[in-house]
Amino acid sequence: MSRFKPLADYQSPLGNGYQLLPFRFTALDGDRYVLSNMTGEYHVASRPTVEQLTKHQLPPSSDQYRSLKSKHFLLDDDSNVAIDLLALKVRTKLERLSNFTGLHLFVVTLRCEHSCPYCQVSRQNDDKSDFDMTPEVADKALDLVFRSPSPNIKIEFQGGEPMLNFPMIQHIVEGALARNAVAKRNLGFVIATNLAVVTDEILAYCEKHFIHISTSLDGPADLHNRNRPRPGGDSHQRAVLGIKRVRDVLGRDQVSAVMTTTAASLERVRDIIDEYIALDFHGIFLRPLSPYGFAVKTKWFAAYDRSSWLKFYFDGLDYIIELNKRGVRFTEFLASTILSKMLTPFQPGFVDLMSPAVIGLGALVYNYDGSVYASDESRMLAEMGDQTFRLGTVDDAYEELLLSDKLLDPLEQSFAASAPMCSTCAFEPYCGADPVYHHAMQRDFVGHKPTSDFCHRNMAIFRGLISRMEADPEIRQIFLTWANR
Amino acid sequence: MLTRRGTGLTIVKGSNATAPRILRLSGDADRPMPLRKREGYISRRGEMPAGFAWYLLIGQSGEPDGPAVAAESAAIFLPEEFAHLGDGDVVRIAEGRGGISVLFQKAARHNSFLLTERCNNYCLMCSQPPRNVDDSWIYDDIMAAIPLVDTGTPEIGFTGGEPTLLGERLGKLVHQCKSYLPRTGLHVLTNGRAFVDANFARGFADIGHRDLMFGIPVYSDLSEVHDYVVQADGAFDETIRGILNLKRFGVMVEIRVVVHKQTYDRLPDLARFIARNLTFVDQVVFMGLEMTGFTKANLEDLWIDPVAYQPQLVEAVSYLERSRVKVSVYNHQLCITDKRLWPYAKRSISDWKNEYMPECEGCAVRQECAGFFSSARLRYSAHIRPMQAVPERA
Amino acid sequence: MTTLRFAAGVFDIEAIKRAAYRFSDRVAIEIEPTADFIICRLQPLSAKTQLAGLENAFRIEVLDQDLRARIAKETEPVRNLVLSLAFSKTGLQG
Repeated sequence: MSRFKPLADYQSPLGNGYQLLPFRFTALDGDRYVLSNMTGEYHVASRPTVEQLTKHQLPPSSDQYRSLKSKHFLLDDDSNVAIDLLALKVRTKLERLSNFTGLHLFVVTLRCEHSCPYCQVSRQNDDKSDFDMTPEVADKALDLVFRSPSPNIKIEFQGGEPMLNFPMIQHIVEGALARNAVAKRNLGFVIATNLAVVTDEILAYCEKHFIHISTSLDGPADLHNRNRPRPGGDSHQRAVLGIKRVRDVLGRDQVSAVMTTTAASLERVRDIIDEYIALDFHGIFLRPLSPYGFAVKTKWFAAYDRSSWLKFYFDGLDYIIELNKRGVRFTEFLASTILSKMLTPFQPGFVDLMSPAVIGLGALVYNYDGSVYASDESRMLAEMGDQTFRLGTVDDAYEELLLSDKLLDPLEQSFAASAPMCSTCAFEPYCGADPVYHHAMQRDFVGHKPTSDFCHRNMAIFRGLISRMEADPEIRQIFLTWANR
Repeated sequence: MLTRRGTGLTIVKGSNATAPRILRLSGDADRPMPLRKREGYISRRGEMPAGFAWYLLIGQSGEPDGPAVAAESAAIFLPEEFAHLGDGDVVRIAEGRGGISVLFQKAARHNSFLLTERCNNYCLMCSQPPRNVDDSWIYDDIMAAIPLVDTGTPEIGFTGGEPTLLGERLGKLVHQCKSYLPRTGLHVLTNGRAFVDANFARGFADIGHRDLMFGIPVYSDLSEVHDYVVQADGAFDETIRGILNLKRFGVMVEIRVVVHKQTYDRLPDLARFIARNLTFVDQVVFMGLEMTGFTKANLEDLWIDPVAYQPQLVEAVSYLERSRVKVSVYNHQLCITDKRLWPYAKRSISDWKNEYMPECEGCAVRQECAGFFSSARLRYSAHIRPMQAVPERA
Repeated sequence: MTTLRFAAGVFDIEAIKRAAYRFSDRVAIEIEPTADFIICRLQPLSAKTQLAGLENAFRIEVLDQDLRARIAKETEPVRNLVLSLAFSKTGLQG
């Protein structure tokens, strides 16, 4: 019988020590730190442990050592396949970049019959067709769409209220399908609409071309109508009816809802979530208010500060977690996007939270007047008079638009990995760059992160998610499911 | 436990007998004549319908005054334990030592071909302890056997020892399966280390087998623990690199984890490691310990009552499931398996290995349970008990 | 206002500057290097800022920045190795 060697024979000799793999650390709370590696895997440890680790004094027999070795924070003599695995994971996270500009937003009209004070589009009243997109502009924009290399193309119709210019939607859908017969991409359509003016004819057309609907639902009727006034004061009723009609004709999962947070929403998070559940939605995106368009003009943006939104967010998140524990399948989408980055090797494509910033790279916006913007927020900024992120017009070539300094400068400067504070932040793998936001708020693509609401808010969210997972294994499981949706 | 091998058996050969070494069996006395020339007839009452290459005389005495064997034929006398042989089975008859081995059983749920007894790992719980012998003759036998296997067979396995030690011959065997068993899945058990050579890995993708999967054990998220369990320095790194190469070329990979005292406590960490680093594997299976081979020598270091590691197993399975990695649990008896794992528990012990214990008497879910390896009589859970009613399965 | 002194040989001025940047939403910081010490004067930006807790937090932040710089320097070669592997053409399967 041959001898079997003990475990000790396979362990790296104590004297040989270990090598550090690249990682960053940031405080989680008063006692603990979050460490993160190159691919966003994290580990929570006390400050003394971080010091021990860095000084190469962590004992190999400790649980901390084993955990850090397994999660690729350190390397020792008996294995170096960690290098190959890290490289593979880094590549996986960055793969999305090479398939750029998949999202194309067409602003087919600025007309709208609602008068939402927070509107990020400076809308025009119903009857001026000066604010409609023309077929010439649409055709040139479509040519640009198919110049993008992305294998997946999503065309989203926006406004104003896009259904008020339904013939233009049809023109663009048909133009896209014709071009796609040759280009053979994975093509999808979405209409972002308040559903107040939807008709059977429009629904039939959407059914025929597999068009998805994205609509606004701010909460229960009183809150929704207060946020979203229209003649007749019946925005909520129309939305609910519209949602049902869409489901009947297109299918139950063919409509999604988006909420906007206002000062009035801040005390009502449970009511808002309950409304979504009542209407058979399986998740909600608890969105902050962005500082663009009418929102700034009407001082709605200033009306609430960062800590009240955070309270709103975490009250909502904790309520949703409670529901999940009771067996209700309901996801908070901001959390699930971040959790994908924290818990899986994949990179969700959510444009608001990416670095390098995906302005231009992730999405392009074709305004009704032919101007082309790097993102939806860029267009909103232009409506306020700031043309910084206007890339050009539909008469420009795709390469001119994407290679212009107007795009490259903010991309390069804002790249979080090189930005001060961001470059050493443990949460950087989960965060985004958002040069448009920082330019709008601080006149600087990079932004002064210590005073940036974007930074404070995001860090509070990252800390909140990690603390919850550390405290409760059941939450860890629920979050893991969300991360892998 | 079905008898699949025998030696020192009496063989009588006709003067002109071709006596093929590898042959398919038939129990049909009206078998078409052209087929009989290369097949063996299973004779249960001493009858010998003319024209077969071999007669397998079950339960007959080998006395010289027995029935005469035709000139072109040969006969082998088998004890009653071989009565389970049936139509479509494939056997090897080694004249020299009067030996018979059953290579393939049509009625069995699982069929595996042992390609070699050599191995470059030395697992603490190896159920087929390696022998450093020249068994290259096995290759020829299997190449001959594959075309005889029933083409309706859903799946067959290659095992060992370490199949990749056959080098390019393994590829030839896979190709033989592609050619002669085009609708049969092929599951090859291997430690995966040889696939560190990217060209070797690519070669298997190039064969174009419709349904080829490599089952590769990874026992821990920590290299030193894996290397200890397989008793080979550097094995972890090579195995992981091997898996990466196979997946790079689109070959299917299953990760296998035997749960025992050395592996159970980091099972959740291993699940996380797989979900994060090897998310693209086709499935993960957690297996119970077999009480055979080296396990007996290392029992004190390996044995843990399966009831004791259910929490870790549930956590690991749940983690993989939520991470959308396909996962199964093999070789665990239902009564000692956490109910949450029942949807993942498969009835997986090969017929020739499985049995039930006295404690199983009266159990209502026997049919759905994997039962035990015969070898389990050596040691098994103290908590085996019959289940009362058919439980809810998620 | 409060004054902190960091031993010049022990602390790197870059670490101190980074720490100062991080606190720039709460305090204005003046940094003065001398032969033996690096002197930091912290002036709260708002009357509401609690200086006592801030001092401690700032000291820890300087230590943290120091540690970060050390880690970055030590791991730079392997970071470059991982990145070069990640972008190489020898096709790691995603």
